[in-house]
Amino acid sequence: MPRPDLRGRAGAPALFFLLFLLLLAAIPSEAANTVTVDVGAAYASNEGTSIDPALGTIRGKLRSMFNYTSYRMLDRKRRTLSVGETGEFELPGRRTMRATPLPARGDKVRLSIQISEGPRNLLTTTIGLRRGGMVLVGGPTHLSGVLILIISAE
Amino acid sequence: MDCRAALMEIAAKADGILSREAEAGLAAHLAVCPACAAEDAATSATGSALRALAGIRAMEKAPSLDAMWTRVRAGIGEGREERRHASWIARWAWLPAAVTLAVLALLFYPAGTDRSPFHPSTFDVSVEDVESDSATVALVDKGEDLPRVIWIIEDAKT
Repeated sequence: MPRPDLRGRAGAPALFFLLFLLLLAAIPSEAANTVTVDVGAAYASNEGTSIDPALGTIRGKLRSMFNYTSYRMLDRKRRTLSVGETGEFELPGRRTMRATPLPARGDKVRLSIQISEGPRNLLTTTIGLRRGGMVLVGGPTHLSGVLILIISAE
Repeated sequence: MDCRAALMEIAAKADGILSREAEAGLAAHLAVCPACAAEDAATSATGSALRALAGIRAMEKAPSLDAMWTRVRAGIGEGREERRHASWIARWAWLPAAVTLAVLALLFYPAGTDRSPFHPSTFDVSVEDVESDSATVALVDKGEDLPRVIWIIEDAKT
């Protein structure tokens, strides 16, 4: 029995339709009054000399800013939050970070950030950055090095 | 022409591959050689008998061949119908697959941790306030080309 060739005619429209839907899936976080907070936890130490490719273009910047020889991405989390909504991010070493987007104008994003280790409050800060911008929070000890949090907002 | 060559040409003549010139030479030999003439006659008779036999067999098989051809034509028609049905399926088969993939994309798009590496567009950051109950906090600014750093120095551990 001859089998129908599904690849030729069906493949192209399926691909375009899928790309269209993926685009639709990506748009709401920009269009709505929400902020997507991306938190990467990197482990900086002097154990070895490797730099994790997952750190992308900031690998060179980390090396020029700090004296550590090794940088490894431990975890990366992302939450889309409405203004006033608090998102909690689990960090290595039983630490947590709570981020709350605050009202802002234009392409600016204001974030209230609180980092704690159990009952201890390590940091409470409010930062303002442009969408696509980044700030680093470092210093908490981890193993034989420190944690560097890479916080960006879109 | 000797008889050996004549016998080969008789066989070629029966197969229909003997040229006209050779056939004329063979005829001249057959006219003077009764043995070869008898062989030629026998060979020609065998060919006629085989053709007649094939005709008889074909006549005998004709009804079954007709029936088979009828079935073949019916099969061709059925195949066309199946292809027409299959082309309709092929035209719309992608739709449920695309919908399924889209639903999966909508479900998992923002939540993954294996994403592209960091590519910040700006390091323009303003720090409105900084405080800590259990650590000393330093604000490090090494220029516009480098990200601003909030550095936590844990009092109890340093």
